[in-house]
Amino acid sequence: MSRGITQYVLLRALMIIPTVLILYTIVFIFMRILPGNPILAVVGTKSISPEQMKHLMHLAGLDKPLYVQYFDYLWQLLHGNFGVTLAFPMGVPVADYLRLRFPATLELTIWSFAISVILGLLTGTLGAVKRGTKLDTSMRLYSIVAYTLFIPWFGMILQYIFGVWLHILPTSGRINPNVNLHTITGLYVLDSILTGNWSAFVSSIKHLILPSLTLGIVLSGAYTRLVRNNMVEVLNQDFIRAYKARGVKDWKVTWYALKNAFIPVITLMGLQFAILLGGAILTETTFNWPGMGTFIIDRIEYRDYNAIQGAVVFFAFFVGLISLIVDVIYALLDPRVKY
Amino acid sequence: MRKWALLLILLIAAGAIFAGCAQNKAQNQVSSVAKNKTSQSVQASSVVIGVTDKVTDLDPANAYDAFTWEILENTMVGLVKYKPGTLKIEPALAESWEVKNNSTVWIFHLRKGLKFSDGTPLTAKNVVWSIERVMRIKGDPSWLVTDFVKKVVAENNTTVIFYLKHPTSYFLALLTTPPYYPVNPKYSPDKIDSDQTAGGAGPYKIVKFVRGQEIVLEANPYYFGQKPKTQKIIVRFYRDATTMRLALQNGEIDVAWRTLRPSDIISLEKSNFNVVKVPGTYIRYLCFNVKKEPTSSVLVRRALAAAINRSEIASMVYRGTVEPLYSLIPNGMWSHLDVFKKYGDGNVKLAQQLLEKAGYSKSNPLHIQLWYTPTHYGDTEADLAQMIKSQWESTGMVKVTIKSAEWGTYVDYARKGQMQAYLLGWYPDYLDPDDYTTPFLSSTANTWAGTGFANKTVDSLLKKAQQIPNQDERAKIYEEVQKILADQVPYVPLVQGNLFVVTKPNVHGVTVGPDMVMEYAYLYRT
Repeated sequence: MSRGITQYVLLRALMIIPTVLILYTIVFIFMRILPGNPILAVVGTKSISPEQMKHLMHLAGLDKPLYVQYFDYLWQLLHGNFGVTLAFPMGVPVADYLRLRFPATLELTIWSFAISVILGLLTGTLGAVKRGTKLDTSMRLYSIVAYTLFIPWFGMILQYIFGVWLHILPTSGRINPNVNLHTITGLYVLDSILTGNWSAFVSSIKHLILPSLTLGIVLSGAYTRLVRNNMVEVLNQDFIRAYKARGVKDWKVTWYALKNAFIPVITLMGLQFAILLGGAILTETTFNWPGMGTFIIDRIEYRDYNAIQGAVVFFAFFVGLISLIVDVIYALLDPRVKY
Repeated sequence: MRKWALLLILLIAAGAIFAGCAQNKAQNQVSSVAKNKTSQSVQASSVVIGVTDKVTDLDPANAYDAFTWEILENTMVGLVKYKPGTLKIEPALAESWEVKNNSTVWIFHLRKGLKFSDGTPLTAKNVVWSIERVMRIKGDPSWLVTDFVKKVVAENNTTVIFYLKHPTSYFLALLTTPPYYPVNPKYSPDKIDSDQTAGGAGPYKIVKFVRGQEIVLEANPYYFGQKPKTQKIIVRFYRDATTMRLALQNGEIDVAWRTLRPSDIISLEKSNFNVVKVPGTYIRYLCFNVKKEPTSSVLVRRALAAAINRSEIASMVYRGTVEPLYSLIPNGMWSHLDVFKKYGDGNVKLAQQLLEKAGYSKSNPLHIQLWYTPTHYGDTEADLAQMIKSQWESTGMVKVTIKSAEWGTYVDYARKGQMQAYLLGWYPDYLDPDDYTTPFLSSTANTWAGTGFANKTVDSLLKKAQQIPNQDERAKIYEEVQKILADQVPYVPLVQGNLFVVTKPNVHGVTVGPDMVMEYAYLYRT
């Protein structure tokens, strides 16, 4: 048994490597197929001489044959090096950007994730317990509406209500620029707790509310449906009837049912985490959140090959890691899973 | 039990990876904070400015876009500068200068006791070192130096002498651009130093710079000129104009600068915000590839120019926030002539006559592709293309296919001459008619535009104009060049942009020069 699970985890971990490699190759090829290059994108319509163009191409290493560029970058990746930016500005380590931008996305993702799961469990359970009532119908309606909301539109509505009308929440950024926060992890809420900085804590929480609510609500719809349907199924099973027959309290029965309905929810959580990171791109743009999403869009505009490759590889690696963890949790929770 | 132990190990491992990342980051941040820890943390009044532009590169040897130049012009200063809000050049680091040898030798005398924003003395040697650095690094804007300057020498601590390659009448205008600014000796001597915040000797110094988030400036205590009205300026970067507008309405920023949507500007003005309109010197124009069918026919180009209705474009697409433009040299600049007025505006009759002459008819229409790029010039670009299409098609003799490509691709297509008709825009490098003519019409300088236009008369005229010191004589030459432009139509000027600064009612002192740079030193909040 124990050998089985160790092997399973190792194998799943090894699977991350080809995934990342394939993704890197695809991004490498696609970026090169597109017309234009980082130097052109920066120079734009300004007139520079062909010699200067050559000089800049050489500085960026873009005068080398493609296969050399491919393996050069791969070699760097193997050494944990994401290369340097090629445009706007040139020569800054991509890893510096990832360190700066990734915690922002992670923080937003964690909060949205928590909100979506909590909302999903609450609404789904309510719907299942009060099955067939108006409450159930409205929960199902909530699920569909939430699921189909368009993030920039919904975000903007919240910005109007809580920002422009009520003036109670900020609509953009991560923290008030007049608040000085010494960053340790890059997760501002955590950092403000660690450094005991009360004003930074309040400011970062305030800035988090609208973006994480937007993303959280949109993603909670899927959970609502899943939790409700699973709960309904579980509540119809014999062991629940047995509990009820023995006079176990209602809330306790619900709790047992919820625990049983939870396994498929975990699978969805693993999948949603990857989607969340994607959804973060739209949320980040709407709320001017300086995360990975806005970073990648910026870099695509300027054909910054290294930065895009680096960010995608890092993302893929992270998502791979999360799905590995989810799979292991799943395996541990569900006795039926064999390795 | 084992299972849980394994799970725990996995979680700890994941935690450790992020802790590792985080620690690296923490060190990074500490070092960048320590570098700038000269500021007194007293919170004097501050003004927060929002922009949708980016700071691309804090190194004047490589920065080459309008907004980055704005930050550089507020944190550095050159030998001369524009008098605030005017086209007049006044002394800055240099208090006087002499011109010798048919304007090929320029001698500048610096003020005494100049210092960089960290207190390091600034002498003629720093000026020379900085300019030589630009020539060595050969970054994007380096041609502004290398095309003109043969040699620059520090005669003594307060005298700088420039030896130019050829007589250059507008050398003072060149000197106002960032590649000529002395930079702090902390800048790397031979490499592009993109994130260097040491700055120069301008009215402000940079105390914090987080890419994509914000840049924080504080008054430079060693500045030679008048002290800025506001101690601290915070510039916040936005990706999206609507988000910036909401931030202004919610009071998160005091000033919304470049660039809000035209419709947002109009609605903000109605709801009690201050709107300051600044005549801009950026222009929008249409390019024709003169080497590619069917725009290789001058009759076709003239016909298409005649069919364009600029006032309709200005009022419908830009909601009246821009002015019609009838030459590449902007309105208000000396030597400007409305040369394209001879075709009229939306002159369908003339367009039809010309097209007929070129062999087209209603049954045999001209097929043409019109290109635009969707984001680089703002959200209005698709509307602009659509408007031009309908104006051309109103002749009944043109069928237009609209095509678009995003910026990186677009500039590549332009350079390779792969498009027939395409929309571009121009922000000036220096304010002189030369910068609105040579880069477009000189056959050696216009390869970037991909129009393929080459005309020997124009080439020699432009060369001549660069070397004559007398402005009236130069103006005559540029007038002649503009007439050839309107005759040959490799470009069709469309509109000239105004700039808009929208502020909260309690913000005053908005000062934007003709170079479209906002001078933060005059900005204040009550």
